Amino acid sequence: MKFTLNWLKQYIDFDLTPSQLADRLTMAGLEVDSVEDLYPNLDGVKVGLIKNVQPHPNADRLVLCDVEVGEEIKRVVCGAPNARVGLVTAIALPGTVMPADFKIKSSKIRGEKSEGMLCSAKELGISGGTAGIMELPVDLVSGKSLSEALSLHDTLIEVDLTPNRSDCASVLGIAREVGGFVGRKMSPPVKGDLPVLNGDLPFSVEVIDQDACPRYAARLLQDVKIAPSPWWLQRLLLAVGLRPINNVVDITNFVMLEYGQPMHAFDFAKIKGAKIIVRKAVAGEKIVTLDGVERQLDTETLLICDAKQPIAVAGVMGGGSSEVTETTTDILLESACFNPLSVRRTSKFLNLSTDSSYRFERGVDPDGVVTAMERAVQLMVEIAGARVVAGGVDWGRGVSGPASISLRVDRCSDLLGMKFTADDLAALLALIEIGSQKVDDHTLSVMPPSFRVDLEREIDLIEEIARLHGYNELPSVLPVVQMSFPERESGRDLGRQVSAIMVSQGFFEAINYSFVSERHFEMLGLATEHKLRQAVGLLNPLTEDQSIMRTMLLPGLLENVRHNVNHQKGDIKMFETGKVFYPGEQEQPHEERRLVVVISGRRSPGAPVLHYGQDKVDLYDLKGCVENLLTELRLPQVSMVKDAVAPKYIDAEQFLSVQVDGREIGYLGKLAQVNLKSFGIKQDVYFCEISLDDLGVLTVAPKVFQPLARFPSVRWDMAILVLENTASGEMVIAIRDCGEEIVEQAEIFDIYRGKNIDSGYKSIAISVTYRDYNNTLDDDTVGKVHQKIIDMILSRFNGQLREA
Amino acid sequence: MEEELLRLKSEALAKLASISQVGELEDFRVKYLGRKGLFTGLMRSLGTVSTEDRPRVGKLANDVKQEVESEFLIRQGSKEGSGQALQQKVVTDLSLPGRALPLGRLHPVTQIMEEVCAIFEGLGFEVAEGPDVEVDFYNFEALNIPKHHPARDMHDTFYVSDSVLLRTHTSPMQVRAMEKRQPPLRMIAPGKVYRCDSDITHTPMFHQVEGFLVDRKVSFADLKGILSIFIARIFDEHTSIRFRPSYFPFTEPSAEVDIACVMCGGKGCRVCKQTGWLEILGAGLIDPEVFKKIGYDPEEYSGFAFGLGIERIAMLKYGINDIRLYYENDLRFLSQF
Repeated sequence: MKFTLNWLKQYIDFDLTPSQLADRLTMAGLEVDSVEDLYPNLDGVKVGLIKNVQPHPNADRLVLCDVEVGEEIKRVVCGAPNARVGLVTAIALPGTVMPADFKIKSSKIRGEKSEGMLCSAKELGISGGTAGIMELPVDLVSGKSLSEALSLHDTLIEVDLTPNRSDCASVLGIAREVGGFVGRKMSPPVKGDLPVLNGDLPFSVEVIDQDACPRYAARLLQDVKIAPSPWWLQRLLLAVGLRPINNVVDITNFVMLEYGQPMHAFDFAKIKGAKIIVRKAVAGEKIVTLDGVERQLDTETLLICDAKQPIAVAGVMGGGSSEVTETTTDILLESACFNPLSVRRTSKFLNLSTDSSYRFERGVDPDGVVTAMERAVQLMVEIAGARVVAGGVDWGRGVSGPASISLRVDRCSDLLGMKFTADDLAALLALIEIGSQKVDDHTLSVMPPSFRVDLEREIDLIEEIARLHGYNELPSVLPVVQMSFPERESGRDLGRQVSAIMVSQGFFEAINYSFVSERHFEMLGLATEHKLRQAVGLLNPLTEDQSIMRTMLLPGLLENVRHNVNHQKGDIKMFETGKVFYPGEQEQPHEERRLVVVISGRRSPGAPVLHYGQDKVDLYDLKGCVENLLTELRLPQVSMVKDAVAPKYIDAEQFLSVQVDGREIGYLGKLAQVNLKSFGIKQDVYFCEISLDDLGVLTVAPKVFQPLARFPSVRWDMAILVLENTASGEMVIAIRDCGEEIVEQAEIFDIYRGKNIDSGYKSIAISVTYRDYNNTLDDDTVGKVHQKIIDMILSRFNGQLREA
Repeated sequence: MEEELLRLKSEALAKLASISQVGELEDFRVKYLGRKGLFTGLMRSLGTVSTEDRPRVGKLANDVKQEVESEFLIRQGSKEGSGQALQQKVVTDLSLPGRALPLGRLHPVTQIMEEVCAIFEGLGFEVAEGPDVEVDFYNFEALNIPKHHPARDMHDTFYVSDSVLLRTHTSPMQVRAMEKRQPPLRMIAPGKVYRCDSDITHTPMFHQVEGFLVDRKVSFADLKGILSIFIARIFDEHTSIRFRPSYFPFTEPSAEVDIACVMCGGKGCRVCKQTGWLEILGAGLIDPEVFKKIGYDPEEYSGFAFGLGIERIAMLKYGINDIRLYYENDLRFLSQF
């Protein structure tokens, strides 16, 4: 809702600066969005009278004008076709900075001096305006500042209205609120002396759909002279961003802004049968609206029709067939109250939102319908020379007003946390013209005024009390509550734990959108029928790139890798924990929490090269991170299994399946070359994706204390020659699981290929740590066990012992 | 032979003493001590020595070689001794960077989210998350936002079907929790929310924390108390705060909470649109309609609810000027927080 300070001051007197006013309005719940000086730089523009016009000696399209500006005569070169003797217009004198940001200077144009510029309204930023320089009223005195002459100086204020405050979609409504905080009553425009609204009707109105149209008033005006509106009216409309059209249309717009009551003027001559019918559209019906668009209607659309056809979409926009034009002489003025839901539905259905629909869908004052109409009629008489025909229609006048609401003083005090009396409450409500009666000391009977369609319940009044008292004046305390044992959400706890472990391993957390592009599936080479491609789609995505809910986290991270590589941040350790969405039997999709980890580039991103070198990551870096994760989560039942079937986008030789009891819950590996390419990444990427929900249901190994050893351990090594394809990690596991009590630890410390080793073989050097918790071990005991283990390894892995 | 050995020894030791460059040490080693060096050569010729002299000369040869080797090692710096090591002393260069391990970080949104949750958990609030893909009933209907209500314009909604949508706020958790449980309830619901809007101040996905408290005799004053504490914690104790009337269909009275602009300290700047204030969260007393829909008696119970945007708080705390940066996951951004 936009209005100007001077406009507001026509109805309420107050002594606040624009910024003070803005602050008070905001604190009253009418949030001010902007405060703006109108026409701030037009001081150098004056009223000028053209005294003489002669052709420019060197240019056909230009003329030389002698312009009277107060005492002086200025010679100005002008190209406007309407420059003529006797025209009162606007002249920008040298030094003026125009809205288009150029400065007027004395200069020579085609050899003739020019001491300023004659301006159009458009050039001055006053309106879109017509071509040619301004045509000002002839009674304006030359030399006067244009701003002063046209009362341009004003402040535009825009309020961001909440949907409940339809009453403030009007300057009078704002004035009422201002009255509330300055302690004065606003004064609405003085009513004119009009013929009463009854008597013989020169037209008829039939409201068929009474639910959608609880009130309909109309009045006939004759002998209207269609012309441009007077400047004061144009100025106000222009200031709030409306285009002046003609006096009749401008008046309906002005009164809509003043009272909040949308109105429509029909050309009475074009209403067939002099009959208005308010009804729903029939199937297949169409209307061409004022904006020239032909609109297909559905049977829920409320229409205003004449005897033959629809002439307006009720509360939204008029029809072209009954439009007021320059030749119009008789006008049927409509002022009605339409059902908010009906208007909103239609506005959504037609995808057409107007100043009128905005107000109706929030609710207009049903009792204000006639008052506003009479104001418009009065202005039509004054401005457009209209003759008011006695009689008119006010259908539905008997609509019952809102019932009184009982306001309990204690309830109000309890909810706001401070003690009020019945008198306090009545006094507060009276500030904004809400009347009430004291039933007793504990109860007030409140009569909500018709313009406050939002006040229906006791709690609505309590909010008004809080607002009028001032939210900041209400007390602030801490609630007294029972202690309780808050439940914890295990999924959230696991997610946080996983994030903490990943961060401790040097990973950065990423957060990507939950919606992704379908293109990702193709980039990963997933076939159309692939399970992961069965995604939940959005009906109204913002872009194709955000059109389906993700079924995997990997693509988002790959996009992040590309982004970072492209910005010279190619050393990457990142992870994300988040939800993926699978369509299911239920109405809502199944949501699963997952973890994705990616690494690429240098092994120690950001750490000093001097100390850590330039080594690039490989699969072991990733596997180690996952091992750490599982260790920290204490989930020994999760294993990484080789020889499983890799998804197509993972390099089959560098792939591990993460499993629990043979069931896959995730995987890790190296992104296949071809998919790297489709994601536009020019370096190797290793990644892992695991279902956190699957991890979440597993039993966490308890922490059990192991007594610290008191006797020393000994380390014996062995070097075993095995075939290249031997899984050497399994050798270590075999040693750990060999059943010998004194085996404490086994570890591969070297793998050697090359000199002295036949090709196709590798030498695995393993060190075994032995310890007896109760004794110091002697060589004899260790030697025997060590030999047994060597024999076991040689036979199980088909190896040969290599002499050290 | 013996003379030759002693001569070679004194020659070698003299040579060793005269060496001044580290590089020359290797030449020395090759010449005297190497496999084809002079001492090795002499020792090979031990065979020419008579059998009775051989043990004595052999021992001398060994002693001489060892002595030279020992001096060599001392000069080389790999052995302690009375002689002077030639090796340059290595000075620990304290100006070099430490051997810092690469660090990881949580996303700034997560950091603020955790901070917010921790404050409320400290006040005894339970934390609950809900589904991102929500049904119309919980997101709108149960929160007193029927179809065709103008308040739906405040939520630009992504739809999956007619009745299923991406939640536009985490408030549905309020209803889900109240449906299952009886008061007293104290809960916050952090999570992702979605609105079809995208520009420098809006992303189609963002993070919210919704909180509510339901009990007997909960008042607006309680709401003010809790939120004042929260703001003092998440910003600082001196942050001015104001409550102003607003409108949400599921609360009444409804409030927006502003803090003094963190950029200009309340003097007025571009960030606060010259008002000196920044909107930080929405709140209010839970509307009796919401209670009625759930089956709570609004005469018996009252409560408050609030909702705040995590990205906005992070933007204000850290001076981030473009909300879209959160979801580019640029390491240059992520490593700043």
